Amino acid sequence: MNGNGAERAAIRSLPSGVPGLDTVLGGGLPEYSFNLIAGGPGSGKTTLAHQIMFANASVERPALYFTVLGEPTLKMLRYQRQFSYFDPELAGSAIQFINLSAEVMERDLGEVLQRIISEIESAKPGIIVVDSFRTIAAQPRSSDKGAAFDLDQFVQRLALHLTTWEVTSFLLGEYVAEEQRSPVFTVADGILWLTQATDRNSVVRKVQVVKSRGRAPMPGLHTFRITDDGLQIFPRIPEQTRKRALQRRERLSTGVPGLDEMIGGGVITGDAVMLTGPAGSGKSTVATQFVVAGLANGETGVIAVFEEYPEEYLARANNRNPEVGKMISSGKLELIYLRPLDLSVDEALSAILEAVERLGAKRVVIDSLSGFEVALAPTFREDFRESLYRLVGTLTATGVTVFMTAEVSEGFREARFTSEKVSFITDEIIVQRYVELEGELRRVMAVIKMRGSDHSHEFRLYEVTAKGVVIGDPLTDYDGIITGVPTLRAKPAKAKRGK
Amino acid sequence: MSRDQSAEQQIARRLIEGHRSERAEGHASARAAAAACDQLYRELSRWVGPDGCHALFTRALAQARTEYPALGLIQLHARSEPYIDGVAEAIMAHGDPATAEALESMLISLVELLGRLIGDDMAMKLIERSLAVSESGGEASDGRREEA
Repeated sequence: MNGNGAERAAIRSLPSGVPGLDTVLGGGLPEYSFNLIAGGPGSGKTTLAHQIMFANASVERPALYFTVLGEPTLKMLRYQRQFSYFDPELAGSAIQFINLSAEVMERDLGEVLQRIISEIESAKPGIIVVDSFRTIAAQPRSSDKGAAFDLDQFVQRLALHLTTWEVTSFLLGEYVAEEQRSPVFTVADGILWLTQATDRNSVVRKVQVVKSRGRAPMPGLHTFRITDDGLQIFPRIPEQTRKRALQRRERLSTGVPGLDEMIGGGVITGDAVMLTGPAGSGKSTVATQFVVAGLANGETGVIAVFEEYPEEYLARANNRNPEVGKMISSGKLELIYLRPLDLSVDEALSAILEAVERLGAKRVVIDSLSGFEVALAPTFREDFRESLYRLVGTLTATGVTVFMTAEVSEGFREARFTSEKVSFITDEIIVQRYVELEGELRRVMAVIKMRGSDHSHEFRLYEVTAKGVVIGDPLTDYDGIITGVPTLRAKPAKAKRGK
Repeated sequence: MSRDQSAEQQIARRLIEGHRSERAEGHASARAAAAACDQLYRELSRWVGPDGCHALFTRALAQARTEYPALGLIQLHARSEPYIDGVAEAIMAHGDPATAEALESMLISLVELLGRLIGDDMAMKLIERSLAVSESGGEASDGRREEA
């Protein structure tokens, strides 16, 4: 008994078997709940239902999958069994497919309900799916006028029977938003709404928990992808759900001789660092050096690549430093390749976080933000700034140090140190740029932001060598470096003596 | 004959065997094969629907007909009992052994077709389920009684 004298009936949660969905649902699927999975054609309803069913069905508590009209069962089985979760061994024992087309087409709702109930009584399932419920509701019946009850009553009675038989149920249906007045929406304990939208050449799939009785699901729309493994949901990055890990603010070496000195002794742990520069300025080289430098301290790292194929990236990195290949082989470094053109920030974060947790990584490189933005579906580019803010916040809150590169275009009469869209999310900003010195194209580096720390204010020449980036001398004798075309400062004439 | 085909032939024969004892009178083989087809139609209809199942049988019959003239007299009636019609006429015209062999061939075609569509393993499981019904004397593994 609780303090109010009433005992709470514990609602057990069933694992959905869908990566990310339990998080979105606030802990899993409530047992014995009556759910609606709604969405347009091709939105993934059938796949989602199968995934849930295969994750939960057992011989003792089987799952019954009632097919009605719509996709022929043979075709559904043919396609569904291509997914990795589909275990043919379970078919016929733990999972039974039952076709209701005859009842739906030839009889009234009362007989459809009776057939469902008699199958449930016989098999005592833990889960049932009706695919598609919409066709039951929409099928015209000549006997409707004389039928025992209408659709409202059918839904009410079905829900009641399913709950009393302790069945967790899923009705699938093609609905549009305007149809939410259908009785099934009122009766359902949970409603999952799947959508897919086309924006230019990209297709973005999203899921929303419209309703979840007795639970506190994550609000909003969450992107998902359908792969050979079924649905994978990428919960929308919450704004700082994780408390920022309290840690000693130690300095991490960048691995670039001279750069640590410029930034006051090294990158501060848990910070977000941005290195910007034009194409070919050596951003990726510095980023790789940063990760490899961690190896000396036994730290592991993750590099998320957006601009190149991982093989090419690895080959170039290996040329400069064979340690990169060794780190990958020994499981101390993971290269994540994220270059689809329909990516969401949440999906990228999910992949990076998984790798960080897998390796216990301390250093993460995102190379580059420019490539990342291009890899996103157009719809996500619109709020790239906000999403990136949440992504960086979530990553640094885990205690990892994030090193990002960003390409900036520059002319010789203007200075664009950083991408103005994203510079605010970083704690430290290092810039690279080309300058013309004595008729030669040279590279300079400077530190323009170090939150809570002193740093150099010099422009330092640097070289991208076969072994990596090496910082050179400061350009103390030049003015106008910021323009890209510096001029040698005139030295003050020496005072003549003896005159 | 490949190993897979023999597996399909084996299961077709097991299906027919399950009905042979019930048909002790003359023309036992063809009648048993027809009863096996009727039962398989009922069981598979539960999974893939009567129309889906009828489509499978129709294709299997068309395929087997090219080699077995006895099947020219066989007709399939969806959502009817019995499902297989024209067996008596086929026996009259072609004899019991030829009709039985023809119906067995149709069953083999059906098993092969189902295997190509949903995979051999799952096809076998579905048909094994039908076998369980005939071997248990008409009670399905989920407790349902075989309909008349």
